[in-house]
Amino acid sequence: MKIAVLLKMVPDLVEELEVDSTGKALDTEELKFKLNEFDDHALEEALLLGGEEDEVVALALEGEGNEKLLFTALAKGASRAVQLTGVQPGGSGEQATAFAAALAESSFDLILTGVQSVDDREGQLGPLLAARMGLPCVSVVTGVSVTDGGATVNKEYSGGVMAEFEVTLPAVLGIQSAQQPPRYAPVSKVRQMQQTATIESLTVGGAGGGAESEVTAMAPPEVGASAKMLDDAAALLEVLRGEGVA
Amino acid sequence: MRQGQPADRSDKLPTRFARALLEVAMQKPLASARPLVNIFHTFIFFGFSFYLLVNVVDVLEAFVPNWETIWQGPLADGFNLLADLFSVFVLVGMLFFLHRRFITKPKVLEFNSNVLLHPGVAAGGVRRDSLIVGGFILLHVGSRWVGSALQLAEAGGPDPWLPTASILLPLFTEMEPGLLEQTIRATWWLALGLILLFIPYFPRSKHIHLMVAPVNLALRRETPRGALDAVQDPAQPGSTTLAGLPWPQVLDAFACIMCTRCHEVCPAHESGTPLSPSALEINKRYHINAHATEVAASGARQNMLEYAISPDAVWSCTACYACVQICPVGNEPMHDILELRRSLVFDGKMPDELGEVLRSLDEQGNSFGESNRRRSKWTRKLNIKDARKEAVDLLWFVGDFASFNQSCTATTRKVAEVLTAAGVDFGVIRKGERSAGNDVRRVGEEGLFESLAEQNIELLEKCEFDRIMTTDPHTYNALKNEYPALGGEYEVVHYSTLLVELIEGGAIQLEQPLAGNATFHDPCYLGRYNGIYDAPREVIERCGLALVEMPRNRENSFCCGAGGGQIWLNDHDDMTQRPSEMRIEEALSVGVSRFLVACPKDMTMYSDAAKTSGHEEEIVVEDIIDLVHSAMGIEGVAA
Ligand code: SF4
Ligand code: SF4
Repeated sequence: MKIAVLLKMVPDLVEELEVDSTGKALDTEELKFKLNEFDDHALEEALLLGGEEDEVVALALEGEGNEKLLFTALAKGASRAVQLTGVQPGGSGEQATAFAAALAESSFDLILTGVQSVDDREGQLGPLLAARMGLPCVSVVTGVSVTDGGATVNKEYSGGVMAEFEVTLPAVLGIQSAQQPPRYAPVSKVRQMQQTATIESLTVGGAGGGAESEVTAMAPPEVGASAKMLDDAAALLEVLRGEGVA
Repeated sequence: MRQGQPADRSDKLPTRFARALLEVAMQKPLASARPLVNIFHTFIFFGFSFYLLVNVVDVLEAFVPNWETIWQGPLADGFNLLADLFSVFVLVGMLFFLHRRFITKPKVLEFNSNVLLHPGVAAGGVRRDSLIVGGFILLHVGSRWVGSALQLAEAGGPDPWLPTASILLPLFTEMEPGLLEQTIRATWWLALGLILLFIPYFPRSKHIHLMVAPVNLALRRETPRGALDAVQDPAQPGSTTLAGLPWPQVLDAFACIMCTRCHEVCPAHESGTPLSPSALEINKRYHINAHATEVAASGARQNMLEYAISPDAVWSCTACYACVQICPVGNEPMHDILELRRSLVFDGKMPDELGEVLRSLDEQGNSFGESNRRRSKWTRKLNIKDARKEAVDLLWFVGDFASFNQSCTATTRKVAEVLTAAGVDFGVIRKGERSAGNDVRRVGEEGLFESLAEQNIELLEKCEFDRIMTTDPHTYNALKNEYPALGGEYEVVHYSTLLVELIEGGAIQLEQPLAGNATFHDPCYLGRYNGIYDAPREVIERCGLALVEMPRNRENSFCCGAGGGQIWLNDHDDMTQRPSEMRIEEALSVGVSRFLVACPKDMTMYSDAAKTSGHEEEIVVEDIIDLVHSAMGIEGVAA
């Protein structure tokens, strides 16, 4: 079995985010990037699914920090790592086109990606990619098991309702969470990979992304009026009386 | 040993051996614990050493014609006297030990029931071995002693040079001469024959320690305690097999006398976890004995996690160094554990919560998973120099806990206020600082440690300063002992030492001294690892408090349980009581209501422990800076 995992870097939300001078995007100067946590789950699920015979290939678009990302995937156990060059990273549509072009060249049985990311809240990458490639797609997946010629996947709906799907392979799956927490890649091993392993590179044409949504304005959320902490019930009563409630 | 990894211990061999022999002769390695046991061990040691000579003389006496005429006069008298007295020493000593091992059976000789034991050990092998060795010594020395009483009977009367044998004499005076003669022969054969009988067993027994221990002591590590060995093979760091350990750590198994001193002082064993450093050494030894022939081939490559120590035990160690410090034969069980961790982490086998912390250390540079920019949040309104931008005398490397932990930042602010009041020119490097990586290295993540250290060293290169100061003993240890190997050589000072300097130099005036008494907890990485015991005590006393020591103090201090990465890990399910809670009780037992610390991690550990053990009302946990701050009469600035 051949499994592809699509990885990307997203802004690290541990840092404070600032909007840049255009008012339409984040100020990247002050940003720090990290692997999209859902992609990390997708990678973990792929590694759990992949046995001795199987091949797990990690793919990422060219970009700052992506080499380390791919070496980390190798350190965790991916069989190969591929960086796609020649694309201007844009929205999910453009990314889907680029990945579709790259994936068309080799026959994968499963294509896993994170269900969403902080810069793709609708989780469009998976469905768009599936559409471009003419493959079935399931999103918000929390478990995959491969059967003869297909796969059984669990999907989570809001409210904790679970559904089970049978999909034919190849298929695209948007992973919500792997069956185990994503493993930690020891820096010792990542460093060793950086010295011994190579990252393949694959040039894909800069085809258009089709319809994209456009950001017209970006702003931090309004801070509501500050909350007031009350010391005891008497204080509460006083406030309520003041409001004419009690 | 030849299966082990190279380690260079061949420098200054004569000095190493001379020193080791001298220490052994003075029985110094035993000195730090168990006084009663040591007295009896000293009895046996001197007695048995002298018996080497006694045996030679006995053989000569049997085979050299006219020996009796050659060997007489004051020299022979003196020899006889010593042989006589030492026999009794050995017998008394040995009876004491057998009584202890088999009758009183102190609990410290036992392993927690969850400790992994080699089948031979579990079947009572240690006790059987003790019995054989003890029995041999008793019979060997005893029969010679009885023999000399018999000889007196043959000679016809007591001898002032054989006082104790003379006491036995009345038992034999009635014996027939023929029988007497035969019994004398029998005792001679018993005494010397036993040696021949015992020789093949000797290398397998604990008795071999008398040969291996001095060698082990002579060849011990001479690098600073706080500097771990470099990784031998970056492609496969650490080891899970005997063959992968540095050879001196394989030798440890033979030097081990199975005294369990190491687990008696081990906070992990004491708190009920499945770790016993003693079991580790003993299991190694049993494994080698059981596979003597194949160790060279497969035995040395068998996974130690199967027979020597369980993975849970590996993750219970606090890297406190107590076991290494206490071991009378110079063994280093802790270093085995740290090698195992290196290997496990490299293969991604570690507790989940540890992976989380390592990830944030890698991504954010701190163990709190917070933006590293918030590292200097505590400095608000304090007006502290940015050492990245201007030169300072003292660069303060604050460390993760002192910067981020909420129960520490008030203390951190006080340090700044005291330094300012004392007119010290100091600064911090704010978000440029990364965790120093001391505990990262001790959980076995060598690559992350190097990466953190490299980032810190790179930044420190660009700063101008005379010395680095830190309040965190872990940070202190890494900067002082481990950064030099990576190219970062600094003069590092712990704030306790700096405070003494400032007090003595008059920059700090303690005009409002405190009153009352207090106890002080020696942090492992300040005391045992780096030998700083006096500075914090001096600060405490200068501030006017009377110091009352806990039973376990200075180099015998008991770890708070946070070291070696434990602060990031969940308590083991089998833990009966946290080490920090035991320590709070120890402090209460000496009648103090102030528990003083000189380490940010201790501040969190002990304030928690005082609460969880229900003693919050009786004891208050304070940092030494709290004392200085109030004795100086500083008004703090609200954050
Ligand atoms: S270093 Fe401390 S915790 Fe670890 S085995 Fe030794 S005594 Fe126990
Ligand atoms: S390792 Fe040292 S302290 Fe521990 S049992 Fe062996 S000899 Fe005793």
